[in-house]
This record gives sequence, structure tokens and C-alpha cells, in this order.
Amino acid sequence: MKFRVYRYNPETDQNPYMQGFVVEASRGMMLRDALLAIQDQDESFAFRHSCGEGVCGSDGVNVNGVNKLACVTPVAELRETVVVRPLPGRPVIRDLVVDMSQFFTQYKRVEPWLKHRDPLPEQEITQTPEARDKLDGLYECNLCGCCSTACPSFWWNPEKFLGPQALLTACRFLEDSRDQAAEERLDALAGPYKLFRCHSIMNCVEVCPKGLNPTKAIGQIRARMLKGSL
Amino acid sequence: MSRSASGLRAWLLQRLTALYLAGFFIYLILYFHFSPPKDYGAWIAWVDDPLNGVALLLFIATALLHAWVGVRDILFDYVPLFPLRLALLGLVGFALVACGFWSLRIILVPLLVRIW
Repeated sequence: MKFRVYRYNPETDQNPYMQGFVVEASRGMMLRDALLAIQDQDESFAFRHSCGEGVCGSDGVNVNGVNKLACVTPVAELRETVVVRPLPGRPVIRDLVVDMSQFFTQYKRVEPWLKHRDPLPEQEITQTPEARDKLDGLYECNLCGCCSTACPSFWWNPEKFLGPQALLTACRFLEDSRDQAAEERLDALAGPYKLFRCHSIMNCVEVCPKGLNPTKAIGQIRARMLKGSL
Repeated sequence: MSRSASGLRAWLLQRLTALYLAGFFIYLILYFHFSPPKDYGAWIAWVDDPLNGVALLLFIATALLHAWVGVRDILFDYVPLFPLRLALLGLVGFALVACGFWSLRIILVPLLVRIW
């Protein structure tokens, strides 16, 4: 199976270039396995990966123009020649390894932890099954970054627009019955940039390896804001 | 900054004006399909009808507001350079206001002429 991968080592290369590799595909082979096989052929080739089963979210890459998590992408589904590039819009550190610090900065800005104002109960804070169901489709995110780096609004304003991932997380805490800082969270999202740069392009929904829907979450946040301000 | 500041307010404004624009366009298309005005007098009579006249003026106001939010969004996205963005926003705002007054002139002057 033919691959063309993006290569760039800022210490030795003047410009990035695409390098061709041939990998023998095996049954059930995932893209991560193919990248490992490429690394066997050329050990200077760099990419991030860890758990290999879609949990850690380390190996987000751009495959044939679409962001995917390499470890859960079967190579059999990919059109040859498979073109593998780093996630778009992020500074390249080396080959497929990009600098995701801005993405994580935006994640931190939504304060992704429960804020409970009342005195904490002796035991755990309980939740009804219905209240727990509201978190489904929001909590599963593994922060791979496929969504935010596929979002044109995030490409244009990565320092001001929070991006689909951070907004999905914001919604996750707004919807949580145990969180008591909804007003504060909504106030923090005010203004034309943090939330409202989203134009419902829905690239995020298309690429999410977990099948989550950040656009819907953003709509939920807007509905909450509207309710609170009318 | 209050929560209703430019983010939520602009977004809501764009959606509300979109609803009116969609409704008015459907009315216009149906009206002009089934009973197109035959001459200038018929046009004047159409605008002279209080309901049509008010709806038309409201249409111009909503179209301008809708355009303002839309163009503002495009400039926020694509023009990061602040002085340039400010200049373009000013230019667009001026052009839209000018369009508004121009439309007012087009709609109201024939009516006023007729009254006098």
C-alpha cells in the first residue's frame, strides 16, 4: 500500500516535503500500524501515539485531507495513495508532531472542573439517571484535537475563539447537575469571539473520531444564554 | 461586559431578521407571481397600501441589519489587522446607512409627490 507522508525537521530541512513509502497492508491494519511500519523503514520519522485504541487521543493526523485518529482508522478504508499530513493550522514541531499548546490553553479557559458552591456532602454528590443522561455525548471527548484543528473559525482566530473541543467541554459542565457555576460560565463565554465565532460549519461533527457533536453543544450553550438574558 | 453584548445580541438579531426576510421574500414571490403590478401607477398603489409600505420599510431595515451582522462576522474572521478592520467596518456601516437612506428616498418620494 502506497503512502505519502509529510516530513519536516526544522533543524535540518529548509522546507517541508512529502516522502513516499510502501507498506504491506495486513488484515485489520490501522493507520497507526502503517505509520509504525513507516517508522521501521525510516527511524527519523516522528509521530505521536500511545494507547493504540482511540482512548488517549495522541495520534490525530490529517489523512487524505480529513482529520482522523490514526489508531482507529482501518487502512482498508483509505484511498491510495494515502496522504498523511499533520493536523492543519498548528505549528509543526517535527513531521506529524504539532504544537497543541494553544488548543490546551483554550481547554483550560473553560475551567473544565466541577464547581460546587454548597458545602460538600459527607458522601458523593448523587445524580438522577436522567441528569446523568444529559452528559452522554459530551463527556466522552479524548482531546485528540481533530475537531478544533478542522474548524475554519479556529484557524482564523485560534487565540480568541475557544474552538469546538473547549466549547463541548463548556457544555459538559453547564449540563452537569452537580455544577453550580452556570451563570459564571455563561458570563465567561460572552462577547463576539469565544463562542460566537462558530458559524455551524460542522467540520467538527464530521471528523470527531468519537462521533460527538460539538455544533449541537454550542447550540445548547446559546439556548442557555438566550434563556438567561431574556 | 454584559452577556447580551455584541455576541449573543448580534447572533439573535441575525436569526430574527433572517426569519422576517424569509417570510417577506415568500410573500413577494407569491404576490408578484400571481398579480404582478402592470404599470408605474400600480407599483405606487402597492407601496401606498399601509401594510405593504410598512412591510417594505421593515424589510429594508431588517435587510440592512442582517447584512451588517453578516459582514461584521466576515471581517471579524478574516481581517485580524485592527486599523484595517476598523476602517472596513466604518466603510461598510457608512455604505449600509447610505443604502438605507437611498431606499427611503426611492420609496417615499413618489408617495410624497403624489400627496402634494
